[in-house]
Amino acid sequence: MDSLNQALGLLLIGMITVFIVLWLVTVIGTSVIELSNRFYHPKAKDNDAPPTGGVDKEKMAVIVAAVNVLTNGKGVVDSVEKK
Amino acid sequence: MNEILSGILEMTGFAQIDWGIVLMWVIAFVLLYLGIFKEYEPLLLVPIGFGVLLANLPGAGMGIVDNTLVMNPDGSYMTLIDIANNYGILNFLYYALIKTGFLPPIIFMGVGALTDFGPMLRNLKLAYFGAAAQVGIFTVLIGAVLVGFTLPEAASLGIIGGADGPTAIYTTIKLAPHLLGPIAIAAYSYMALVPVIIPLVAKLLMTKNEFKIHMRKMDREYPPKHEIKHMRVVKIAFPIVLGLIVSVLVPSAAPLVGMLLFGNLIKEIGPNTARLADAASGPIMNTATIFLGLTVGATMTSEVFLNLQTIGIIVGGFLAFCLSVAGGILGVKIYNQFSKKKINPLVGATGLSAVPMASRVANELALKYDKSNHILQYCMSSNVSGVIGSAVAAGVLISFLG
Repeated sequence: MDSLNQALGLLLIGMITVFIVLWLVTVIGTSVIELSNRFYHPKAKDNDAPPTGGVDKEKMAVIVAAVNVLTNGKGVVDSVEKK
Repeated sequence: MNEILSGILEMTGFAQIDWGIVLMWVIAFVLLYLGIFKEYEPLLLVPIGFGVLLANLPGAGMGIVDNTLVMNPDGSYMTLIDIANNYGILNFLYYALIKTGFLPPIIFMGVGALTDFGPMLRNLKLAYFGAAAQVGIFTVLIGAVLVGFTLPEAASLGIIGGADGPTAIYTTIKLAPHLLGPIAIAAYSYMALVPVIIPLVAKLLMTKNEFKIHMRKMDREYPPKHEIKHMRVVKIAFPIVLGLIVSVLVPSAAPLVGMLLFGNLIKEIGPNTARLADAASGPIMNTATIFLGLTVGATMTSEVFLNLQTIGIIVGGFLAFCLSVAGGILGVKIYNQFSKKKINPLVGATGLSAVPMASRVANELALKYDKSNHILQYCMSSNVSGVIGSAVAAGVLISFLG
């Protein structure tokens, strides 16, 4: 009987704790989103963007991402020229 | 001549073969068959199946021995070197890596490095259904107590309902290590059966109209309140803040949740920590999986596995799994009663862990009823929160019963 009471207590405490933690997940998630929207202002990259030489923006993004991965973030795309 | 033959017989393992060993071989072959040919969780069922085979080689002494045998008269444990010398390499691995609770958090780190919190951050409300889906853990705990399991054993059995192998193993190591083999087998077998269990429970509890609830249309009618302008920043800050707060709130969940979120952080930072993320999700996780599978399998000697408790674990684990799926579905159905923005109850069904298989299965099920109803990213939200939920549930059980 004691074990059963303890098991019922665990049901109550366990479910409440899990709900509280996942409520915290939503609160933390929302707060981080709100704070980053309000206070994070990344440097404008348009001026730093390499000359695309007529390559469209999506392809340029793919090239930059590929260079990023291959060079572990150390490589920089200076310019892209179309031949 | 007879003496020579009996000497040879004693030298080989044939003399020690009994029906229990043969039955364990059959179980090992079934696990290997499921892993190799049916492709059910092969990364785990193959090492576990082979571990079972190794543990039941007559005369080889490769099975994991009871912890009373590796204790000194003063109650302390033997050194690892003594364990290796006396009981072999698998016991050395078990007592070094499993008994210490080392491997499950390491696997969680790899899982974190493979997890994307993006879908959850885009649909934060759906995270609550990861809580509803933990109900199977605690209800089966009560049921198991009623049929005679002790509380720590019942908790280890109930945690199967979290559908998270490392969490089930970690909880069992802490609460009822003598049940590790059958609980690990049940947990991973039912995870492999997610494509069968979720449709089964969903069809029992959901109407056709509920299967057709179109999540994107609902999003268009009731758009989310928060727009995420800087996803990368959010993804980096989220695991740090969440890890800190959850670990303070439920410290016993910190080894699992902390490592999950650390793994996720090194993935989200990007190229600067890409090597760490690659190591965590690749070589480290793979090595941990091999040792975990083999040693868990090796706990299943015929003396330990072939008893009524194992049958109770197999049945109880199935119930826990089904109840968790049902809990998630019913949670959504209750929510839908009070909300204008309806949610497809399949999103609740994926509130148990089993990432990402549960989400894929739910998505395919929704597509059967409406070919344009792609719910994968919504399911991933509750699915990922289910990983956190089951780790927290494990933390609660360990802190009260450990």
